[in-house]
Amino acid sequence: MIGIIAKREILEYLKSAKFLIGLGITLAITIISTAINIQDFKQRQQDFMAARKEMKGTVFNVMLYRPPQVLSILVQGKDRILGNQIEMTYLDIPIRPSGYMGERYSQPQRSASGFGAVDFAFLVRVVLSLMVIFLAYNAVSEEKSLGTLKLVLANSVPRHQILLGKFLAGLTIVLGSLLTAAVLSVLIMVFQSFLALMASDWLRILSLVAASALYLITFYTLSLFISVAVNRPSIALMILLQLWIFLVVIYPHLGVDAAENFFRLPSDRELSQKQRAAFQPYQEEFKKVTEAYFKGDESKQTGHRYLELEALKSQKDYDVEEEFDRQLTRQRKLAQNLSILSPAVLYDQMAARYARTGIDEYERFMENVVRFWQTPYMELQKLRFENLEAYRKAQVPAFSSPAESTGDALISTLPQCVILFLLISIFFALAYTTFLRKDVR
Amino acid sequence: MKTIIKRELMDHLKSIQFAVLLVFSIVLFSANGIIFINKYNQLNSTYNQKMARLNYNRSTTHLYLYRKPNPLLFLAEGGDLDRPADYILRPKGQLSAIPPRPRDFKLPDIPKLDWSFIIKTIFSLYVILLGFSGISEEKEKGTLRLVLSNSFSRVRLLTAKYLTILAVTFVPLLVGFVINLVIFAIFPPQTLTVGHLSNIFLMLLLSMAYLSLFAFLSLFFSSLIPRSSLVLLVLLAAWVLFAVIIPDTSGILSQKFSKVPSEYQTAKNLEPFVQKEVWDRIQKIQQRINKGELRTEEEVRKETDQAFEEGQDKMKFYYKSYEDSMKQRTLLAQNLSRLSPASLFQYASEDIAQAGIHREEEFLKDSQNFSRIYDQYILKKVGKLTGVSGWSFGDTLTLNGKKIEIHSPEPEEYRGDMSDFPKFVELGPSLSLVLKHALGDIAGLILWNLALAVLAFAAFLRADVR
Repeated sequence: MIGIIAKREILEYLKSAKFLIGLGITLAITIISTAINIQDFKQRQQDFMAARKEMKGTVFNVMLYRPPQVLSILVQGKDRILGNQIEMTYLDIPIRPSGYMGERYSQPQRSASGFGAVDFAFLVRVVLSLMVIFLAYNAVSEEKSLGTLKLVLANSVPRHQILLGKFLAGLTIVLGSLLTAAVLSVLIMVFQSFLALMASDWLRILSLVAASALYLITFYTLSLFISVAVNRPSIALMILLQLWIFLVVIYPHLGVDAAENFFRLPSDRELSQKQRAAFQPYQEEFKKVTEAYFKGDESKQTGHRYLELEALKSQKDYDVEEEFDRQLTRQRKLAQNLSILSPAVLYDQMAARYARTGIDEYERFMENVVRFWQTPYMELQKLRFENLEAYRKAQVPAFSSPAESTGDALISTLPQCVILFLLISIFFALAYTTFLRKDVR
Repeated sequence: MKTIIKRELMDHLKSIQFAVLLVFSIVLFSANGIIFINKYNQLNSTYNQKMARLNYNRSTTHLYLYRKPNPLLFLAEGGDLDRPADYILRPKGQLSAIPPRPRDFKLPDIPKLDWSFIIKTIFSLYVILLGFSGISEEKEKGTLRLVLSNSFSRVRLLTAKYLTILAVTFVPLLVGFVINLVIFAIFPPQTLTVGHLSNIFLMLLLSMAYLSLFAFLSLFFSSLIPRSSLVLLVLLAAWVLFAVIIPDTSGILSQKFSKVPSEYQTAKNLEPFVQKEVWDRIQKIQQRINKGELRTEEEVRKETDQAFEEGQDKMKFYYKSYEDSMKQRTLLAQNLSRLSPASLFQYASEDIAQAGIHREEEFLKDSQNFSRIYDQYILKKVGKLTGVSGWSFGDTLTLNGKKIEIHSPEPEEYRGDMSDFPKFVELGPSLSLVLKHALGDIAGLILWNLALAVLAFAAFLRADVR
């Protein structure tokens, strides 16, 4: 019986104007956003490859580059705005990447300010979630207001079978629309000759689609519950849209605003004072050694001590910056925790993690940069005071930053999955019990 | 007409949409007030500390210029917090921005909770929710036929519905504005002056012009499509297109269509220049010394000074090109996004709030004017002007076995009395300039209103009400 009900409902959905309009909008946005993002990725990839080849820097001033992520085509995340270039000398441990014009001059944030991203994640978070609401708001409420629910229940069909049939039908349509958009996006990507998707990328795309499905099912079960609880479809739609505005637009915004404004960060001046204080015990010796070194004391001992003190100064400066960075991470986690009940926030976190375009991937990359500075780079700099000729001819050691494995990404997003699953279970249980107890007269 | 307006008003005031919008408005405008006061306190305290230090740091080699925090930032932030607030002015009008330390780059990218965001995103959505059923629902219920069977013209009916939607939206908007201003009046610092009231009043008018076009849009589709749920679906699609898709894709599209070189291309031109051109010239000078063409230290320094000076000029040129191309790209992105009324509203709000790209331009203009005064002062005190790019070059050459330390020319510090040191004053844009900047965007919004009003009335006049 469930199958018959589901089949009838699916046919109804497929013939409905709202489904056709929704699908048309979905497909149009999918094609436009994927095509635009592919072109953008292509340019960023070309710039990255060319910079790695043509702007290598010197043995002293080493340049490293953060590669753009291929799945940023689907989930832009932070990939475009974080900068791709890391410049290192023994005078400074790199703190964050800049644009290609370097830390002092490049300001990618300035030109990006005010412009966001339209991508697959946006499509799911905003467009498809709205479509889900439009598909489900009248699933039960309309039958109640038209009086057909009374007729259906007059037959010997158990109530739970009717609800399950409707649920399965809606689920099929929602997941079908999602899969259509995902397949279309991936097909457009596959037909680009310059794009090579690895096995891990495919796994990540699958994880992204699964996360999208969980997110949409959350809205679907919520819509079903409201449709069961409210007798008039227009009221059900209004309630759902208010909830959508709150959960997708207002609540995440307030979470970030609260974290940003009430998590106290030290001022620039406080940070500079801390840095100066941390190196104060060595300042006198540093002054003497630097003077001797620049006045032409070319002894190995002076050279080594000079380098050690410069490295120590860089390390002390970096320690203060690292503490500041940890505070930024704590602020971000506070924002996430404050918005933990918003399915949109949970979905964003999962999508960015799978696409490697979130802040976690950036932090992993920067940890590897610092490790590179501390060992192979500084070892190379010691050579400068032992054998200058060999130093000048030396090759900069290769730098690599292994990306997070798909398994680790899946494990790290388990809490978000569990919360979404819990929300789905709660909304479905509410819909189910409300429907069983519903007065259909 | 009064009866219809009264009836419509009562219907709307009793609706869920109105109640929720009122609650959201109170919450969001209160949050905006509290957040802004907190942020302004921080910015103002940092600015005052810097200005106090400036009195002790008078110099003829370089000078720090600081941008005043904007007390109208709560209207529209306009990316101001991402733009540099500190600059270094060097002789010959060389102004370099000091990039601000990024403080929110780890947080999700969301627009700031200012008035423009609240009105552009939330209020426009609620105008749609209040207006989508204006005609279509009456048609579905059959009441439209009854209403029109009276001696009541369609134009008057649609006008009444339009005015009601605007009036119902205006109430929560006004409540929000008042709450916000009360918060500013109660909590220190009392940032707003009477002069700012004209900007706030302008913002209120602009908001109504923006919301009005969504009212017309809702009535247009409501007259065109007979089923309310479909009207709402189409209107939400239009909202997503206007509020998100067009503004957000224009950032990437501008990079595609822009003819100016990308950041990488500019950097690629700069890199070989720094690494090679300057040092190649210095090496050639050494070769000329070796050949005996340059015999005295004076001759060598004259040549190296010229090489460095030209190098500095070229460096300045590259950085200026980079600044210009970034600006051109941003302007192109803004112009592309102006296809959407939401962007027109956003940029007009930024102008009214004296924020955004125009605010920065005004500051740069004030700085350039001041740089002439600064240069005259240096000439008076030091007797010469030496321009630098922010980079310095240095090397050692050998002349007849003697090592000569050479370095790029640096401005000279005056050690005497500097009590007559000129003071930089940031004038900021006047109200007439604000209006001049915002005029194009306001005209765009009026055009949208006219076009949608014509469409709405035409669709309703031709609608079959049976």
